[in-house]
Amino acid sequence: MRAKKYFSEHRRLWLALCSFFFLFTAWELMLTYIFPVNPFFFTKPSLIAAAFKEQFQGTKLWHDLAVSSQAFLWGFSFAVIVGIPVGLVMGWRKRVEYSLDPFLTALYASPLVALAPLFIIVFGVGVLGKAALVFLLAVFPFIFNAFAGVKSTDSLLINVIRSYGGSEKDLYLKVILPSTMPYIIAGARLAIGRGLVGVIVGEFYAASEGIGFAITQAGDTYRLPDMFVGIIILSLIAVGLTELMRKLELMVAPWRTTDEVR
Amino acid sequence: MKLKNFYAAHESFILGGGFIVALLTIWESIPLWYTLSKGMALFFTTPSRVTVTFSELLINGEIEKHFYVSAIAFLAGLGLSIVVGLPLGLIMGRSATLENLLDPYVTACNATPRIVFLPLLILWFGIGIWSKIVIVFAGAVFPLLINTYTGVKNVNRVLVNVVRSFGANEWQVMKIVVLPNSVPYIIAGLRLAIGRAILGVVVGEFFGSSQGLGYMIASAASNYKVDVVFVGVAIFMALSVILTLAVKQLESRLASWRPETAKTF
Repeated sequence: MRAKKYFSEHRRLWLALCSFFFLFTAWELMLTYIFPVNPFFFTKPSLIAAAFKEQFQGTKLWHDLAVSSQAFLWGFSFAVIVGIPVGLVMGWRKRVEYSLDPFLTALYASPLVALAPLFIIVFGVGVLGKAALVFLLAVFPFIFNAFAGVKSTDSLLINVIRSYGGSEKDLYLKVILPSTMPYIIAGARLAIGRGLVGVIVGEFYAASEGIGFAITQAGDTYRLPDMFVGIIILSLIAVGLTELMRKLELMVAPWRTTDEVR
Repeated sequence: MKLKNFYAAHESFILGGGFIVALLTIWESIPLWYTLSKGMALFFTTPSRVTVTFSELLINGEIEKHFYVSAIAFLAGLGLSIVVGLPLGLIMGRSATLENLLDPYVTACNATPRIVFLPLLILWFGIGIWSKIVIVFAGAVFPLLINTYTGVKNVNRVLVNVVRSFGANEWQVMKIVVLPNSVPYIIAGLRLAIGRAILGVVVGEFFGSSQGLGYMIASAASNYKVDVVFVGVAIFMALSVILTLAVKQLESRLASWRPETAKTF
């Protein structure tokens, strides 16, 4: 009876685990017994696991990860430093909003990755080109979320601060920034996804190191298990970072429901 | 005085348009007040040169040829993702077990930039149109799927119970309550899906391709034809802006009651 209760409480987790287990077993069995496996085009979990072990013991994987994350962090940090102030000013000053909104919306809506070849050729295949690409892609979610955050600030709270003689600094630090924070974190979640696209595309296009390069290289030489190692690591990083942001969002703003579009 | 009123009435339009015009003018005039070094001049172009290149490429049919290939990949991939994403989203929204089984994969795939699968897809589907269709599909299907099932899950329980009490079966519940309620979510998903699909077309054509607008950009960049790069980028920009704004119009008409938190593309 207790087992049943336990199961129904953690139903979600158990079903997820079961479905993972089932998928990997089915994949493994299918390629081992039903299809004669052609290692050039297909691979199976046991081979991927072996590749994982081998890569974890080597140094190349860690080096690639370090190179990619360096580019990502530079671009992302600049996106934070530039994006948030621009968004705050846009939300606070009507004229700035009118001037910048159409231009930035057009850029946000368009696939700026299309500039990747140009960026790589102008800035080189090193960290700079990729970081510039990451910045370009990741800055817009910060701008528009900070903007929306300021816009949604309760004007009653602003009036209260003003009525009690609070200074402009109090206004920003005690009302606008706290109410904008959850929006900014939501923006960071979107920016992570876009930034990763920037790193990957930059490295696919031209690179000599980095995780994106490792994936294409494995693909070009038909080493499918190694390729899956790269793909799985990237997914884990992406899922980990986005879930972290989601948790942070709930922590900073528990009152907000998060059923918005992902 | 009249001029002032006119300005006050159209301030947002004037400032927004003025900013873009000013930016283009400054860009155009850079060569006039600053002489670029030979190396930098290779990477530099002006809006007027881009326009001239655009009309040249349009006249000799280059753009039409590439555009046609890209459009097919875009439409086929997006169509496929609608055909798969909507029904699956509806089913996942109605069945908790199925949702629990599939949600981890959906969440993981949605968080991962789908672009990482590109080398794998090129290996499996070749460098022809199919690998592009599949990458577009992979990009566009998840926003649609997730939004559809969020919409279905947010349906008002009371309404479902009312319809059930009057003897409706599952299909009728779907038709009368669930679908109309999810339409705004689906449209929002479609808007995101369009953005992802265009991204898929661009990047898919960068690698292992011989046709399409993405290929045009990538090959022009490696030949230092910066004008052509900007022509391609401008075409993609115009298309995405037009498509997303069109869907946005539809969205605000259908879902004026749904509060928007922040812009997402």
